[in-house]
Amino acid sequence: MLVFSALLAAETIAPLGTYKPAERRHWAFVKRSQPEVPKFASAADRTWARNPVDAFILARLKKEDLRPSPPADRATLIRRVYFDLTGLPPTPRDVAQFVADKSPDSYTKLVDRLLDSPHYGERWGQHWLDVVRFAETDGFEYDTQRKDAWRYRDYVIRAFQNDKPFDRFVTEQLAGDEVAPQEDETLIASGFNRLGPLRKNAGNQEVASSRNEVLTEMTNVVGSALLGVTLGCARCHDHKFDPIRQSDYYRIQAYFAAAQDKDLPRASAEEQAAWKAKAEPIEAEIKKIRSSMKGSTPDQREQLLKKMEEVQEKMPEPLPSVQAVVDNMQQKSSIHLLARGDYQNKGDAVGMRPLGVLLPDAAPELAQDIQKPRAELAKWITDPDNPLTARVMVNRIWQGHFGRGIVASPNDFGRMGEHPTHPELLDFLANEFVASGFSVKHIHRLILSSNAYRQASAVANTAAAEKDPDNKLLWKFNRRRLEAEEIRDAMLAASGKLNEKAGGPSVMIPIDKGLVKALYKPSQWVPAKDQAEYSRRSIYLISKRNLHLPFMEVFDAPDSLASCPRRESSTHAPQALELMNGTLSNQQAEALAKRLETEAGPGPRKQVDLAYRLVRGRAPNPKEMQQSLAFLKTQSRREFALAMLNLNAFLYVN
Amino acid sequence: MSEHSRITRNRREFLCDAFCGFGALALGTMLQQQALRAAPLGNMNPLAPKAADMPDKAKAKAVVFLFMSGGPSHMETFDPKPLLNKLNGQKRPASFGEAKYQFVTSEAKLLGTKRTFKRYGKSGIEVSDLFPHMAECVDDMAVIRSCYADMVVHSAAQYQLFTGRVIPGFPSMGSWTLYGLGSESDSLPAYVVMPDPHGAQEAGQPMYANGFLPAIYQPTFFRPGDKPVLNLDLPAGVSMTERKKTLDFIRGLNQANMAPDDSEYAARINAYDLAFKMQTEAPAVFDLSTEPQETLDMYGIGKPVTDDYGRRCLLSRRLIEKGVRFVCPVSGGGTGVLQWDAHDDIEENHLRMAAQTDQPIAALMKDLKRRGLLDTTLVVWGGEFGRSPESQGSKGRDHHNLGFSMWMAGGGIKGGQVVGATDEIGLKAVESPYHFRDVHTTILNQLGLSQDALSYMHQGRKERLTEVHGKVISEIV
Repeated sequence: MLVFSALLAAETIAPLGTYKPAERRHWAFVKRSQPEVPKFASAADRTWARNPVDAFILARLKKEDLRPSPPADRATLIRRVYFDLTGLPPTPRDVAQFVADKSPDSYTKLVDRLLDSPHYGERWGQHWLDVVRFAETDGFEYDTQRKDAWRYRDYVIRAFQNDKPFDRFVTEQLAGDEVAPQEDETLIASGFNRLGPLRKNAGNQEVASSRNEVLTEMTNVVGSALLGVTLGCARCHDHKFDPIRQSDYYRIQAYFAAAQDKDLPRASAEEQAAWKAKAEPIEAEIKKIRSSMKGSTPDQREQLLKKMEEVQEKMPEPLPSVQAVVDNMQQKSSIHLLARGDYQNKGDAVGMRPLGVLLPDAAPELAQDIQKPRAELAKWITDPDNPLTARVMVNRIWQGHFGRGIVASPNDFGRMGEHPTHPELLDFLANEFVASGFSVKHIHRLILSSNAYRQASAVANTAAAEKDPDNKLLWKFNRRRLEAEEIRDAMLAASGKLNEKAGGPSVMIPIDKGLVKALYKPSQWVPAKDQAEYSRRSIYLISKRNLHLPFMEVFDAPDSLASCPRRESSTHAPQALELMNGTLSNQQAEALAKRLETEAGPGPRKQVDLAYRLVRGRAPNPKEMQQSLAFLKTQSRREFALAMLNLNAFLYVN
Repeated sequence: MSEHSRITRNRREFLCDAFCGFGALALGTMLQQQALRAAPLGNMNPLAPKAADMPDKAKAKAVVFLFMSGGPSHMETFDPKPLLNKLNGQKRPASFGEAKYQFVTSEAKLLGTKRTFKRYGKSGIEVSDLFPHMAECVDDMAVIRSCYADMVVHSAAQYQLFTGRVIPGFPSMGSWTLYGLGSESDSLPAYVVMPDPHGAQEAGQPMYANGFLPAIYQPTFFRPGDKPVLNLDLPAGVSMTERKKTLDFIRGLNQANMAPDDSEYAARINAYDLAFKMQTEAPAVFDLSTEPQETLDMYGIGKPVTDDYGRRCLLSRRLIEKGVRFVCPVSGGGTGVLQWDAHDDIEENHLRMAAQTDQPIAALMKDLKRRGLLDTTLVVWGGEFGRSPESQGSKGRDHHNLGFSMWMAGGGIKGGQVVGATDEIGLKAVESPYHFRDVHTTILNQLGLSQDALSYMHQGRKERLTEVHGKVISEIV
């Protein structure tokens, strides 16, 4: 008793909190319903409603007196589903075969083939990398490269490729080191907790401040990426709109209190010794230069810095390692409410507990001494009854296919987020997701096999456009602009230059010298020696926080500093400048022009035909053919090829 | 309504989200603002000029931010401290209080300055002998001697100076300005950063960037030399006539398959027109050779020390003339010694940095004024912090964020005055202290933008340039 009151005197425990019934009733926090799949009286409706997805979509359309659109033609459909699942265009041969294949299961077979394609993981892995703000450098002034960050990228690609159950996927990322500490796969996954920007400033480091920043990054992403709530808003004060108290924020943070970065070397003892033997004399030299810098004039210092960079270049490549986190119970941070999020302004102490609004009132904190805290958090997040996790993930999948989620704010299912356009469908899909053992590919198949997905996008329906101008109810398919990576990859595919090599360390490509010079440490940019690497898929190009590739940036690639739930799709003049005058497009135009000549022969008509099949996945219509032939009469094939890569028909998926 | 992705995608989708979404929560005027800013009605150019929120306050149409990277000393420039010279070599008297520095310890001794100060102009403002040219402009300048901020390391302080936050990922004041006002020019990038050719800043690209604002509000980084913009030049071996034919061909094919009311396709066709306009018109703006010799001389172009910054200041004027909204010529870059970051030797560093910038900055002020542009152009001078009254080593000064100087001129600023004061040794802002957020609020105010109305929903929060509410520096507006 004495001990207990002494403890109380030292630290007040934050209140466990109560949540008003109205707060608990918000749609995203309530248990998923078991919605009944709508049934239809008319035969036409029954035919269109091929699967439950269609039934929910059709029922909602009918409520507004709207009808779905006719199906897209087969050439459009195959191009759509190719980009959608692989981020690449179909080859002219793929298109021809699919258009010719009249068998009833040809489409299902196509979907299955693409889900099995190694390019599927590359495309859907990218969506996840956006959400978890993946980058391969620290950010801030040094922007140090994380040499082994690519292992996490490959892990994500593999996970999607192999349809790793999503509950397992989440668990490995949050707590891979706790659930399977002997497996590289799960240790790599735990690098998820280290993905945020990291401040390592010159001068006196405030250790407590840095630790607080690390914990903040670990905590916030749980909200945005996994739970779809703006948990980060509650760091400085109770959430202004959602029932998330400041104490909830720090109770989630408490799960990470013992997590520490750890680089686990993955080289043999001999390799490590050999590395050390090479590195030590160089390190000694660097030390010498550094000490001679003291008291040097600026000019001398410049010289010395140059010399130091030269010496640093000689350092052997770092040995492979796994960038993991591990628990260090001895160095566990004590977690407190921080007034205004300021680490020096400590309030009540808190322990681990899930979000209060999803628990009974006054639910207690977890025991402080549990040995696998993050595994515990993962267990709660992936519990089949967690109302958020499955809804949030199926919504991301839906958005990946239709361009817009059933909830249009995928990282915010709170009150300030959008309401679901089809709440029953969302619950139906989430139920399916859980029942299938959290199979992402099962949800893909459900969605892709629907008639809703196969509708045409280019339809004139004035009445529908009037009633639902944004097509929230899906009376047609949504046309979309290709994303930055897709544009680049599709150019390479069209020109025949795409290097399909998968996985491994990321690639730096040559970029404008001015941009390299604009780096705080220009020596950080070293283009790959093997030029074939420059034509790899975009997901394998380095993602550097302080130098975004201009091509990616201009087409709205995210800045990797915060979770990006949905890409922008902007339209502006610098995009046109990039595609008309940029190095990449002009190189690919050159290659495409050559390809047209080699593969189609000397006749311009055949060349135009092949060009359209390569960039647009169909033959040119008579108007296009006539304009193209007229152009080629006086202008070069290279300019023609460049024009092809600038067409709306190329840049958009219908 | 609260995403990273708040939309340039489609104005209609956007407006409808805000007003007639199925079950969407209406956020009233704020979202209306955001929607209208997303793309002005009836205009295909997302950067078309937009009206200020507070038209009666809008004095400035453009901003030139003369960023003195690394942190210039206030005690060597605009804030004379006779007592500091008297106490040279002594420890700081306890009565001045505490300060936390990056490197110098509590054992450090105060360091007097070798600079001399004189009063200039009608206003009699004191300026050090580092800036004989700038001193001629004091009657237009409001010197704020009481600036302060929160961070004492470069990267975090630079983020705060540009974005109001100490971490990367937030939009810079240049991006916010574009978001608020659009651009007056359709042939030039609207927000231009001209980095020092010596290299970059610690905070890197994200400091100047658009953060979560749509990509159209991103800065354009000018490269040194006469071809500052990437992709503005035709590829080798392609003529302008040839390229024009290609563009016409693209337009023809795009239109061949377009529904008449397809606004997104139309916007893309428009983007190609704008790009062509930039390509044909911008190079003439970058070509300084058309300027009279007198002007080149005024900026110090042709003299080795001033040539580089002089060119960038002259180019700034030419951009402002053509309606560019926000220009940031950066002084200092690369390693610390090549910035205003005078850890080793305050004398050597500041004499060198001042010699590079003094004449060009004064020339820019005078040039803007004689062309009648100063009234509508807000000029701001400053770094991410000042420097320590204590010495680092024997003759350097460390970073210092508790009191330092900035100045503003033009764009409706009442010049010829000094605002606020630091204590007698330049340690802390003690009289009318102004934080970076107040500087931001004042910049927005002069542009006719209110810090509250200029907001954007991001990850569930209504974000603005000033995290904590700032105040207008009322003495100078």
